[in-house]
Formats: sequence, C-alpha cells, structure tokens
Amino acid sequence: MTTPPDSKLQTHLNSCVRCGLCADSCMYYKAYKEAKYIPAAKVKIVTAAYRRFPKKKISEKMLREMVDLLFGSCTMCGRCVKHCSIGVDIPYLVRKGREIVAAMDKVPSSLQATVDAALRSGNNMAIPADEFRDTIQWMEEELQDEVNDPAACIPLDQPQKNIHYTLNPREPKFFPLSITAMAKIFYAARERWTLSSKFYDVTNYGLFSGDNSAARQIAGNLYDETHRLQADRLVLGECGHGTRASRWEGPNWLQTACDFEVLSAVELMGEYIRQGRIRLDKTLNQKIYTLHDPCNLVRNGGLCNELRFVVQNAVVHLVEMTPHGVDNFCCGGGGGNLAMSEYNERRLKTGAIKAEQIRQTGAKVVITPCHNCVDQLIQLNHTYKLGVEIKTVAEIVADALILT
Amino acid sequence: MALGALLLCKMLFIVRLWSLIRAGAPKDLSKPMGSVCKGVVYSYTKAMLPHHKESARLHLPTFTAGLVFHAGIFLSILTFIWFIVTTVFDCSMPQMVTDSCGGFLVATTGCGMAILLKRLFNRELRALSCADDYISNGISSLFQLATAGYLFFHEPLSYYIVASLFFLWLPMGKTRHLLYFFAARFHLGFFYGRRGSWPITRE
Repeated sequence: MTTPPDSKLQTHLNSCVRCGLCADSCMYYKAYKEAKYIPAAKVKIVTAAYRRFPKKKISEKMLREMVDLLFGSCTMCGRCVKHCSIGVDIPYLVRKGREIVAAMDKVPSSLQATVDAALRSGNNMAIPADEFRDTIQWMEEELQDEVNDPAACIPLDQPQKNIHYTLNPREPKFFPLSITAMAKIFYAARERWTLSSKFYDVTNYGLFSGDNSAARQIAGNLYDETHRLQADRLVLGECGHGTRASRWEGPNWLQTACDFEVLSAVELMGEYIRQGRIRLDKTLNQKIYTLHDPCNLVRNGGLCNELRFVVQNAVVHLVEMTPHGVDNFCCGGGGGNLAMSEYNERRLKTGAIKAEQIRQTGAKVVITPCHNCVDQLIQLNHTYKLGVEIKTVAEIVADALILT
Repeated sequence: MALGALLLCKMLFIVRLWSLIRAGAPKDLSKPMGSVCKGVVYSYTKAMLPHHKESARLHLPTFTAGLVFHAGIFLSILTFIWFIVTTVFDCSMPQMVTDSCGGFLVATTGCGMAILLKRLFNRELRALSCADDYISNGISSLFQLATAGYLFFHEPLSYYIVASLFFLWLPMGKTRHLLYFFAARFHLGFFYGRRGSWPITRE
C-alpha cells in the first residue's frame, strides 16, 4: 500500500468525470435507485481514501462507508467498465479500495473467515483431509457404476500426470456429483489426471478480501502443488473468480510466469470436443437451456465464445438471456458476496435482475461454469420461484457423453 | 496573460504525462489469450460507439450533447491558438469561417449548459457531484461562449480573462481527463485485449 501508484492506478484515480452514465450498468443501482450505488460513487470514495491513506487517518465513518460500498454493494463484475464513458476500470479501483480496508483489518468478518480457512487448512471450507478422501472414494464408486467399469477411478495425489485438476470446495461439500461429472469426461477422454488431497481448492478469496499477501499464498499453494505433482497442466475447475485468480492474477501476485499451462475446465472440454477425444450426443439434453455467463470467466476472462462452443455441442435448445456474454448481469453472488452473510438481503434483491432474465428465456435449465454462481442461482430459483434446474457445464457435457 | 496560462497548463500536463511514463508500461506475467494491439484499437474506436456501449445507447441525448460539447472545447482551444498565430503573423480568418465557428460554439455552449442543468436538477447526479463538476463544466462552457463572443464582437479583454481561467483550471480540475481519458482507454484495451475479451467478435 505504500508503493507509489503505477500508471494504471494513477490513470484510473484521475479519470472519472462523475457523468453518472455508469448508473444503469450496475445491478445495485438498478435494484435500489440510490445515488450511493452508482459506480462513480464507489470511485469517488476510493479516490478520497487514496488522498488520505496511509499518511492521514481514514475516519471510522468513512471506513464504514467504504466497507458498505466496496464490499457490500459491488461484486466487481466489471459491467460498468465496459459502459463507462471514459473507460475507468471501476472494479480495479474497488479492489484497490478493498486493499486499503484490508490493510486496516476491517474486511467483513465472514469473508475474512473464508480466507483464514483457506490459509489454515488449504481449502476455504476447512474440509478435513479424511472427509475429502472419503467423498472422493464415494464418487469413484458412483463413477464406476455410471460408466459400468470397475477400473474407472478418481486419482488422488498421483505424480507425473498430464493434469492437476482442482475443485471448488462446494463440490465435495455440497455437490459431489459434479466431481463425478468431470471424472466421467476425463474417463471418456482417456485423460491422465489427478486431484490433490491437500491443495485442490480452486477458489481464492484473497482476490475479494483485498489481502494480496493471502491471495499470493493461496495462489502459490496451487502452483507449488502442481510442481510437486509434476503435472504438465493446471486445470481450474468450474469457478469464475478462482479461474481469474489462478489464471490471470496469480502470476502477478507471485511475480513469476507459470512454467506449466493454466487453463479452465471450459477450455479443456472445448479442446476435447475439437480433438474428438470426447463425442457428444446433444439430443440427450432435450430441455430448454439458458446460459449464465460468470463475469470472471466471460467479461474478465475471454471465454465468451469458448463457453458457447462447448454448450452448443452439448444441448439442442439454447436460449440466450438478454443481455448476455460480455454484457451479462452478474448473478449477485460475485465479489465475495456469497461468503458475506451480512449482505444476504441485498444480494438476493440485486439478484432479481438475473432472475427476471432467466424467467424471460423460458428455460428449464440454467447452465453456468461457476459453483459460486450455481449457489446464488439456486437461491434465486428458490426466492423468485423460477422452477429451473441449475447445472454446471461439466454436468451437461457428461450427460451428453457417448461412451464407447 | 492567457498565453502564460496556456504555457502553465502545458507544463502541468507534461508533468502529469511524465509521471505516467515514469510509472512504466502495464506489466502482466500471465499468459495472454488475446491481442493487446487489437484490444487497444477496439478500445479507442468501436468500444465507444452507442451500439457497443449501453450507457451511450440508453442516454443518447446526453451522449450526443457530450460529444458536441467536447468538440466545442477542442474547437475553442484551436481557435485560441489560431488567434495567437494571426496576431504574430498579422493575418486573419475569412469572415464566413469565423461566423460558422462562432455559431457552432454557441450551439456547443448550449450543450454544455444542458449537461450542467442536468447535473443541477437530477437528484442522483447532484448527490454524486462535487464543486469540481460544476466549475469544470461552467468554465468550459464559458470559454466556448467567450470564444464565440470574440469571434462575433472582437472584444479581447473578457475573452482572454476567461481563456486564462480555463487554461489554469484545465490540468487541475476533472478537465484533466483530457490526458487521462486516453491513458484509461489504453489500459482498458490492454486489459481486455490481453484476456481475449476485446474486440468483441460475436455480438
């Protein structure tokens, strides 16, 4: 925090003209119609904080306002950036504001607990290693039943494989069948892969807490584990922010380029389809599907077309939301909001925009390659009585697999 | 006096630019997925058009007024430089050109005033605003009006006072986005281009 501002920070701190045209791009403003939720208001408070911090003290009142606006009223989805008349990178500034809050030890306690759990145990839900191993063993049996092959396996801690695959801890904890789905795809592709029993967590809530030291350590854990396992590729499970953290931000936090390939599960599935390593029968997925674009994979991760390539190969009827792709609305669970119970009510209210988008498509199934989005969409489904199923891309692809 | 203000303005912008250059080009150690070059070109061009930018599409009158207002500011600066040139070299602009420029600047001043009124009367925009917003808009509009006035009535004193104030304010108020706008578009193009999000190829 004491280093002089780089060119990007100098630029964005000096660029906002407070024209207010960003307002309609933000789901918080759309949901509440209050000036404080306009993205430019968030830029304003970060700029003011930068004028003071660290030389002058930030008042308690301002700090409370920063926490509420930067943590509780922004998912860092980046939709406002694309529509800013100048081009101010607002989530970048919000992240910088969160760094100030983190430096003052005022990160919302629920989010901080998630970071602490990851630092302490290797995964953000503090799942004990034995419990994880048991779940994987159970899922391995499920896989064997599903593919009717007693030799099918979910490898753990096996060195010198092509892929070190990672999971969102929500998978072993709440959605273990999504592990089986990806394992089935690996099985069909005859992939050489492994999970780690210690560092399998793809998430990195240091990205959201603003604690660069924690973010660095969590990203480093995955990279070190990939080295220890001597894997050629680190494949990031279906998690938007986790993919962003490890694929894009990690090398910068660690100040080193990766000497192995880092890619997302979506890209890997696309690769398998193109190379003919898996064959899909899309008629096996006959319902009406829609696609929710996770902000960190699509707008901030460049996977808009790749995601559609995979999904369109796996389903017959895909109805896009309006807007979609790089213009999509966040589900409301991003930016660490799903972990911050303090803002549950606000999160569900802002999620109404996504719920209405889903309703308008008439879809029966919502596909999304992000487990945080899955959780938020499940809650929106319940709250707004959408009557849809929520599935990951791997689950849809696994359902369409032709096993030979 | 106005020339001195312009020189001071230039110096302050040079200092700001030097500070940006000294801070270095953006660094990113992740493996790129797209082209920085294409992203930057898109950032300066199509990304700002209404069919790619929702804010412009939804607020077309404000967007258009903003464009015209900014055209007026640039024209006023160019006119100021032209006045200096004509004074030094003892030449003049054809009447038709001065009248056209003057007329256009009256219209651009109108756009600036409309934006200022929107800021004054829109409750949310007013809550977002600070003194800088009113001063920057006011002084930029006044500069355009003064330029138009000078073109029509050849009254130098008030024109050069307003021009001096404008040039002194330019690098200090939010009007400094004259420099940072271009830097921001570059950083945006770099970021999204590298990540393969820009240019948008599908929609």
